[in-house]
Amino acid sequence: MSDASENTGLVKWIDERYHISPLLEFFRHKEVPLGAHPVLWYYLGGTTLFFFTVQILSGLLLLVHYQPGEATSYESIRYLTTKVPFGWLVRSVHCWSGHLMIISLVTHMFSTMLLTAYRPPRELTWVTGFALFGLALGFGFSGYLLPWNELAFFATAVGTDSVKSVPLLGDWLLNVLRGGPDVTINTLYRFFALHVCVLPIAAFGIIGVHLLFVQRQGMALPVGESEAPRGMKFFPNFALRDLLMWLICLIALLVLAQLFPYGAGIPGFEWELGQKADPLAPAFPGIKPEWYFLWVYQLLKEFPPHLLGLEGPQACLMVVTVLLAIWALVPWLDRAARAERSSPGFSDLGVGAILFIVFLTLKAWDIGGGGGADGQLPDPAAVARACAWILVPLGLAITLVRVMVFHHRWFILSGAALLHAALHGIGGLPYLVAGALTAPLPVVAIGFLAIRARRSAPSAGGRP
Amino acid sequence: MRHLRIVLLLALAVGAAGSRAAEDLTPSEELSALLAALGADGEPLIGSREREYFDALPARARGLFRKAVRHELLTEASHLQEILALRLHPAKVELLMRDNCVVCHTDPSAQDPETLFSADPEASGSPLHLNLKKFATDVHFRRGLSCAGCHGGDPSDEDMADEIYERWPEAPERHEDRTWIPAFCASCHADSTFMRRFNPALPTDQYSKYKESRHGQRLFGEGDSKAAQCVSCHGVHGILGPKSPRSSVYPQAVPYTCGQCHADDEYMAGYLGSDGEPLPTDQLEEFETSVHGRALLDRGDLGAPACNDCHGNHAAMPPEISSIAQVCRACHAGNGELFDGAKHKQAFERHGWPECETCHGNHAIDEADDSMLSEPSDPLCYECHREYAGDNPDCIETAKYFHASITSLATETESLDELIHPLASMGLDVDALTATVGELRDILSQSRSQIHAFDRGEFAALEAQGWKTIGAARATVSKIEGEYRFRRAGLFVAVGIMILLAALIYLKIRKIESDT
Repeated sequence: MSDASENTGLVKWIDERYHISPLLEFFRHKEVPLGAHPVLWYYLGGTTLFFFTVQILSGLLLLVHYQPGEATSYESIRYLTTKVPFGWLVRSVHCWSGHLMIISLVTHMFSTMLLTAYRPPRELTWVTGFALFGLALGFGFSGYLLPWNELAFFATAVGTDSVKSVPLLGDWLLNVLRGGPDVTINTLYRFFALHVCVLPIAAFGIIGVHLLFVQRQGMALPVGESEAPRGMKFFPNFALRDLLMWLICLIALLVLAQLFPYGAGIPGFEWELGQKADPLAPAFPGIKPEWYFLWVYQLLKEFPPHLLGLEGPQACLMVVTVLLAIWALVPWLDRAARAERSSPGFSDLGVGAILFIVFLTLKAWDIGGGGGADGQLPDPAAVARACAWILVPLGLAITLVRVMVFHHRWFILSGAALLHAALHGIGGLPYLVAGALTAPLPVVAIGFLAIRARRSAPSAGGRP
Repeated sequence: MRHLRIVLLLALAVGAAGSRAAEDLTPSEELSALLAALGADGEPLIGSREREYFDALPARARGLFRKAVRHELLTEASHLQEILALRLHPAKVELLMRDNCVVCHTDPSAQDPETLFSADPEASGSPLHLNLKKFATDVHFRRGLSCAGCHGGDPSDEDMADEIYERWPEAPERHEDRTWIPAFCASCHADSTFMRRFNPALPTDQYSKYKESRHGQRLFGEGDSKAAQCVSCHGVHGILGPKSPRSSVYPQAVPYTCGQCHADDEYMAGYLGSDGEPLPTDQLEEFETSVHGRALLDRGDLGAPACNDCHGNHAAMPPEISSIAQVCRACHAGNGELFDGAKHKQAFERHGWPECETCHGNHAIDEADDSMLSEPSDPLCYECHREYAGDNPDCIETAKYFHASITSLATETESLDELIHPLASMGLDVDALTATVGELRDILSQSRSQIHAFDRGEFAALEAQGWKTIGAARATVSKIEGEYRFRRAGLFVAVGIMILLAALIYLKIRKIESDT
């Protein structure tokens, strides 16, 4: 690498006009810490960005043929996938890349959570990342309706319906979202504008800020460490590795898009066009949203029609809002990490959240419930039992790994999630009753720990 | 003059307003007392729903209740509750309350159960035909023809006129001898001038047809009061038109209405068919499992025939050999036309065989199947030919040829059809293939129809068209498979190039890292 003063040719020409040498200097000296965490976690932000770029490019190609409208949305997508050369590939890549982007984003978010990388000074990186997670869900939800097929129509009708539960503003919000009291082509126009214009502009802005924060602050080190044992130059070493990772992602994407053009064939992870939407047709049973919304969908199903004076969905969405708010505010709530002390409770919160979401998602897939054939509905008790028998061993295995490999000793929240699943699935208690029985245990345990910690204040915390 | 006119108009307007004001819109004291009456348990006898319903009625309707109270036709809260609980449309409640016959005959305190109309006859112990709910939906009642229309008298009278007792035969007599009923209904229904006032589209020939029907012949000719007449199928109070899904003569209800008698062994005992054999009672059971029955009763296809579509309704007759072919042709015209030009026609006529029924059956008729042409599964053609056509080898060969070529066309069509879904799920364009398979299905249907001509000529042309279409479909399949191979190859090349690129990047990284 040549020094800034030795810039020649084009770089020199640009530098004379725009003074880019401080920027080049910054990149020359930028390093990625090594040895602190497995390097794999560092690629996930990059892969998410890669899939987002694929989304923009394939989305632009779709936009060339897509015509929003009652008589054209479905027809133009059908024409694109059957008659336009490589049109099938563009749609398949766009759908696959969307799902892979969300998988990559969620993994990135949980890795950040489990590595406590959200702690100061990176609170705003976490918050912008959380906002990007919200935008990704918005992209998924708005894009789902655009082919104007039967499944999308009803899933959107069900999905938007939950907005009604917002106190006071519910009905108004529903009208704004749908462009009227029902899902009509006006809804599609709105979702189209959101999907191709509003959300991308917002995403560009927030991604820009998120990347700026990451570049300025670099990768987070483990709690209590001020310097990484080793470093790797960001440019070209890490950038080339990123490029290699993106290439691997592209290969995987193309292979999946070609071999499974209509998705993985799991509910919420498939996009066969099917029949055109018919607003007058009766809704059919078993309409499910995309897999990343399944946990909320299942939670809504677990709530009775009325609970503590609230409507069931209202109570459920309140719970979801509180959980998401806790998640967004983790950098401020985790006071131990703010003080550069280890916060095993929050690592366990991450694992607990995974177990909670996985259990609900497995249930939403009706695993082990039979049914399906002859329009028979699956048996909810059998589903709960089968899912609990998957989750409990999985949770125990994760705990064992945490004990043996990471020397974790704090399992109150993940333990509560497992106990909840076991009481519900194996014990046969209703989901909410099992939840109500389990919830006080971590509260009491955490309270007890807090009191004990306060008594022996000076010696609290620290990495085992 | 002009001023005088204005003054007069004003006076009229004020007078009109005054008379409106004079019309008391609030319930009278007695009616209020009935509305507020409490039961033995201290709870109001008129429920809150009924009270709300009453308050929402137009003033004119409420006025009719007040009038009934004033004339002491409505004296009990339970009576009022019974009427209000029907929650009839305001126009209907007016019709009902204007009719003193109904007002009296719904009053539990004034009527014995035998003459009491009640919303729940089982609970009140009334005869089932005195069902007030059903009566309020009756097609006659809806058009303003209430009790007096059949029973005589004047609905505005407060006492029953002698005419009412004279017009009808006494109960035991009228129940034993039903011969008076058709003429009674026909006194209106056969009068086109009268019927035009209510429903100009309704035919007025039911009575003349009925007299010719087997039912009519038995009732009038043999005085058999067990034979069905108007009331047996249409009911009495609560008669609904055939378009109402709750009607006993709605297409889906017809088989069960006929079956009330015709599926009842005991009731039908002693009745003989034209062949002198006892009439069977398994028609309903057979019809339910037939292709027509499944279409009508299971799929709700109202175009499928019920009993009356083949046998007629008012002119119900067993379709004899001479007419059965025409009955089937009413829907299956194409097959009938082919049969008319076939050699079989004369043979069937000569032997006196009913055309369609001989091969396809009647009430239990099933979907026609290709196996009907195959000797091992259905020896019908072959046995008949051996017995009556001197075992003509040409005919046997033709039947075998029909069976062989239809089966192979059908097998080929199915195998092409089975390809559509897997190819579509690989993301390939199957529109052309789907259309061609659709064409093939049409050709198959036409060839199956063509069998009824029992002639190789037209059939062979269709068969050739079928094989040509199969050839086109196969070409489409190989084109689609070619597209898939192209996609596969493209993927291999693209992935190969990318793997190479990845390897180069990997080597570059190794080199940079070994340099530093």
